Amino acid sequence: MTADGGAEANIGPAVTTVPPRGAPARRIAGVAPRRLLVYLPILPALVAFVVLLGYPVVLAVSISFQKMGLRELVQHTTVWIGLDNYRQILTDPTFWTITIRTIGFTAVNVALTMLVGTGVALLLGALNRWLRLALSVALILAWATPALTASVIFQWLFDSKFGVVNWALTSVGIFGDWTNHSWFDTGLSTFFVITLLIVWQAVPFVAFSLRAGILAISADQYEAARVDGASERQIFRRITFPSILPLFMILAFLSSIWDFKVFTQIWTVRQGGPAGETVTLAIYAYLKGITGAQYGLASAIAVVMVLLLLFLLIPYIRRLIRQQEAAAA
Amino acid sequence: MRRSRRQRFAVNAIGVAAILLFAFPVYWMASTAFKQPGDVQTYVPKFLPIPPTLDNFVTAVTRPHFPDFLRNSLIVSVTTVLLALVIGLLAAAAVSRTRFRGRKFFLLLVVVAQMAPFEALLIPMYLIFRQTALLNQLPALVITYFIFTLPFTIWALRGFIDGIPIDLEESAMVDGASRWGAFRRVVLPLLAPGLVATSIFAFITAWNEFLYAYVLMQDTANFTLPVWLSTFRTAFGTDWGGTMAASTLFTLPVLVFFLLIQNRMVGGVTAGAVKG
Repeated sequence: MTADGGAEANIGPAVTTVPPRGAPARRIAGVAPRRLLVYLPILPALVAFVVLLGYPVVLAVSISFQKMGLRELVQHTTVWIGLDNYRQILTDPTFWTITIRTIGFTAVNVALTMLVGTGVALLLGALNRWLRLALSVALILAWATPALTASVIFQWLFDSKFGVVNWALTSVGIFGDWTNHSWFDTGLSTFFVITLLIVWQAVPFVAFSLRAGILAISADQYEAARVDGASERQIFRRITFPSILPLFMILAFLSSIWDFKVFTQIWTVRQGGPAGETVTLAIYAYLKGITGAQYGLASAIAVVMVLLLLFLLIPYIRRLIRQQEAAAA
Repeated sequence: MRRSRRQRFAVNAIGVAAILLFAFPVYWMASTAFKQPGDVQTYVPKFLPIPPTLDNFVTAVTRPHFPDFLRNSLIVSVTTVLLALVIGLLAAAAVSRTRFRGRKFFLLLVVVAQMAPFEALLIPMYLIFRQTALLNQLPALVITYFIFTLPFTIWALRGFIDGIPIDLEESAMVDGASRWGAFRRVVLPLLAPGLVATSIFAFITAWNEFLYAYVLMQDTANFTLPVWLSTFRTAFGTDWGGTMAASTLFTLPVLVFFLLIQNRMVGGVTAGAVKG
């Protein structure tokens, strides 16, 4: 961001010293319009942000204070009801069950993703060239697979009758007989499959990023530690981990955001079923808003969801800022 | 790094296990897709699709409306890329090559937009498209995906343009080229790899998107491929061979594109996050 500082002149140095070919015509237009001309290239993007992002945000907050259903929509009426939507949500035990479930689901997914991701990053460094290449290709396959495809594949893998997972578990023998076991009968078991699927897809990005971070650590540090007789474990604890900690935090932060609001995988696997046991906040907002046509209520859920996410991430954000400051000092 | 033989063996064993675990789901999709339809649903799974067949693919592409879904997905994704690229390039070039009041604010706006939780804007977007009679129309998806991909496009292109020395343009302008001429003849060719990478990223985002397509497109004829695939039970019943063939067809372009740009992906995503 240092490049932005200071030089806030209206036109870059290149233009002022070299008269462009079309200069005479523009000079007639006068100084003020010419100054505004600089904004022309960013104008479409600016308009897009304001109209397609700013306006929906304002609308979301605004209808969260309205009674807005199909009737109000068709009759074009605006019925302000203050905090009623929020009151209704926050006093509904279902909402709290779903909120706690969403937080737990996010925590488990992020923890597993970071743990396995770190392990795989270290593994990439420990393997020989060919195995490392093979593992990289395997990771890229998992990463590149669209979330929707992955959700369909995992349902096939965990199919009760012909799924390869049930066959494998039964064949191993020590786990007992899994023939015709249905993975989607209970919420917990369904979440298990969804978590596997999400972690499978999320690990590659984390592993590759951490691997890049590890590679950026200077070899001298390792050399010195080895000369001093440090064990591999000590080296990881004292050198590798502290060096990649800032990156680790950012990745955990991004994963938390992604997992907290995940929709595609949960919806495609069982639409929040069985019996609503895998409904998370994102699914809940969809069910209330789109299926139930309670737009005001659903907007309030979305607003609460975003605020909750920000609130939960405050410790992270503060730590990130502190790290940035420490790095700058 | 000196390791005992046993440690070496253990590391390699874990490595092989990890390779199998991460590759298997994709392998199983492709393998199922190429199996004889009779070999798909067996109590003891067949691990190799021998002899391979395209029967499942024929089943998939002859499902009702398949050409429509493919066409819709292509139209929406390609239009999104073009729109985001043109508007993003203009903004990126301005931010990178000129100084103006509010430039920092604009960059901040881009970063904030990139982090925007679009899932939370589903209801207002739905209502806006409903009121403007765009619901169930492909342009609604193009507009949505355009705003999804624009922040990233600006951010990435700005990075690529920053990487091209301004001296090159200056010497072209000394030789009499106009500002735009210098940009077009000097910067644009050097920017080509960056444009390709950014387009691919935008394409994949639009191609894969499910939630908005699912909510905004209501007539079957307007579905995109992800929406169709999500209803595979309706389309294929319990025909996993056909389902996996359709999944393979949908995934293949993404895999190819992804391989082309995966080197840039690792740095790109986190760089944007760190700078914010």
